[in-house]
Amino acid sequence: MDNAIVTVKNLTHRFRLSKKTVIKAVDDISFTIQKGEIFGLVGESGSGKSTVARCIMNIYQPTAGEILFHDVNTCDKTAFRQNRKLLQTARQLIFQDSASSLNQRMKVADIIAEPMKINHITPPRGSYREEAAFQLRYVGMDENYLDKYPSEMSGGQRQRVAIARALSMEPELLVADEPIASLDVSIQAQIVNLFKHLQKEHGFSILFIAHDLAMVEYLCDRIGVMYRGKLVELAETAELFAHPLHPYTQMLLSAIPYPDPIRERNRPRMNTEDMIFDTEGTFREIRPNHFVLTKEAAL
Amino acid sequence: MTDQELFTQVGIREEKASAAAVKSKRSLPIFSIAVLVLIILGCLLADVIATKDPAYLDLMNYTKAPNGEFLFGTDTLGRDIFSCIWHGGRVSLFIGFFATLISTTIAVVYGSISGISSDWVDTAMMRVTEIFLSVPGLLVILFIQAILGDATVVSLSVVIGITSWYSIAKVIRTEVRQIRKSEYVIASQCMGGSFLHVLWHHLAPNFISAIMFMVVMNVRSAIASESTLSFMGMGLPLDVISWGSMLSLSERALMTKAWWIILIPGFFLVVLLVCLTNIGNWLRQTANRKESNL
Ligand SMILES: Nc1ncnc2c1ncn2[C@@H]1O[C@H](COP(=O)(O)OP(=O)(O)OP(=O)(O)O)[C@@H](O)[C@H]1O
Ligand SMILES: [Mg+2]
Repeated sequence: MDNAIVTVKNLTHRFRLSKKTVIKAVDDISFTIQKGEIFGLVGESGSGKSTVARCIMNIYQPTAGEILFHDVNTCDKTAFRQNRKLLQTARQLIFQDSASSLNQRMKVADIIAEPMKINHITPPRGSYREEAAFQLRYVGMDENYLDKYPSEMSGGQRQRVAIARALSMEPELLVADEPIASLDVSIQAQIVNLFKHLQKEHGFSILFIAHDLAMVEYLCDRIGVMYRGKLVELAETAELFAHPLHPYTQMLLSAIPYPDPIRERNRPRMNTEDMIFDTEGTFREIRPNHFVLTKEAAL
Repeated sequence: MTDQELFTQVGIREEKASAAAVKSKRSLPIFSIAVLVLIILGCLLADVIATKDPAYLDLMNYTKAPNGEFLFGTDTLGRDIFSCIWHGGRVSLFIGFFATLISTTIAVVYGSISGISSDWVDTAMMRVTEIFLSVPGLLVILFIQAILGDATVVSLSVVIGITSWYSIAKVIRTEVRQIRKSEYVIASQCMGGSFLHVLWHHLAPNFISAIMFMVVMNVRSAIASESTLSFMGMGLPLDVISWGSMLSLSERALMTKAWWIILIPGFFLVVLLVCLTNIGNWLRQTANRKESNL
């Protein structure tokens, strides 16, 4: 396991809302992301996925635990300061809400070129504008959009601009917080294929956060399942889909629609709303490379 | 009533009147801008327009009513008021713009720092401005002026500037506080954007329209403050010609019934202030409209 690009150890993050109420958004989770891997993080709304992403990106300071990027402990203030340049260029985040992650008063060309300008990177393709046009084409949009403002574009186009901005830095690690949730199916496929391409051709490591299990199955090498701030199950994609061990994972998988009507109709359904799952127990390797949060030693 | 009459009453009511009212409110204050430009041009070209030396004391022709030679008459010291208006206007306008430059700079820096800082630093900084705000500005100006001693054009601008930034700073701080947690600011910081980068590219474009009218109003108040101070004899001395120091002769002028000595600089001053106010109000309305369009 020394090929890890990100190592998350016992990460806990609490939001203090007032003196008495504290929300445990992320509770003692550990996982690694390997170099060149697409790691999927799934879970219901409010399970703490975005909080994990933001801790990894140093937007939130974790309450406890540590996060290593290569060998740098990013939660440590002095280590962060010493490696600031590396951390700020080699990791890029695509925000969940593309509308608010783009400045409404800036044109697309300036938005995409912003990280390059901040980090004084000489654009490999001549000018910043050329570079922005290139990145825009890369995410499937044409140059006519360079002079548009975010408010003049659709949600899917904005999301692709946000992706283009992140890609312009050619990061080692791309943290994508539900990057395709607001896109229609054909664009979703296009973006997912783009991610696959980035991983294969350029060796990007990607933390991919999603609701949609079907896309995750196609895209990710390994998947972590989060439930109420806990990581309840972690396994390689094929293994997870073949042998879901945690009841919450089983429920999630049972909710995937299949394009086969007969199979779809005969399938047992579970009422997803009132189910409450155990978040007690320890994280154990039940099968090879398959970890589950459980109380018993064997399932 | 026939059916048709009934039906004609239904539908979208015409709103011609209100649309016209809105339009007149929104339209550019062309007249004010034109007058302002004329005054500024006149002051810049003072040497061309006003051929007489404004400082020359023509003791043969003091307190002369407006006539062919002295277009606006002369004051009690025998100075040509026409020349004094254009040359003195330079000083008044300079003080207005320079003091505003100082106050706006302080306000932007202070307001942004306060807006982007943690809660308690922000609270402390805002308390400080509230304390300053609660003290009448003129009093503070007089106090600092007394310490500094004899007023010069620059010192007066500085004093007016450092006593008139609080309200702009408060507005900036509120705007910054609203947008500093927005994701594009976080994104920019994540990519390595420094405080100055974020301020310049993300914060400033958002608060500039909100403070534009306050900046124009600040020019107006600075000019008014200078005039008030000089009029009271606590601003510029008589030999530094400005519209304010010209007005300070009014006391003597009134005794001699020389209305032109007081009315002419007073007229220019009022016209300038009214123009600035109109432009400021128009800017405020445009800013509000932009906000409601968002
Ligand atoms: N800034 C914040 N202040 C207080 N509580 C927060 C904050 N951000 C998130 N939370 C809380 O933390 C928990 C996890 O939130 P998070 O945004 O990580 O969920 P998520 O898994 O990303 O959900 P979604 O899929 O809807 O994006 C939620 O209960 C949320 O209410
Ligand atoms: Mg989220």
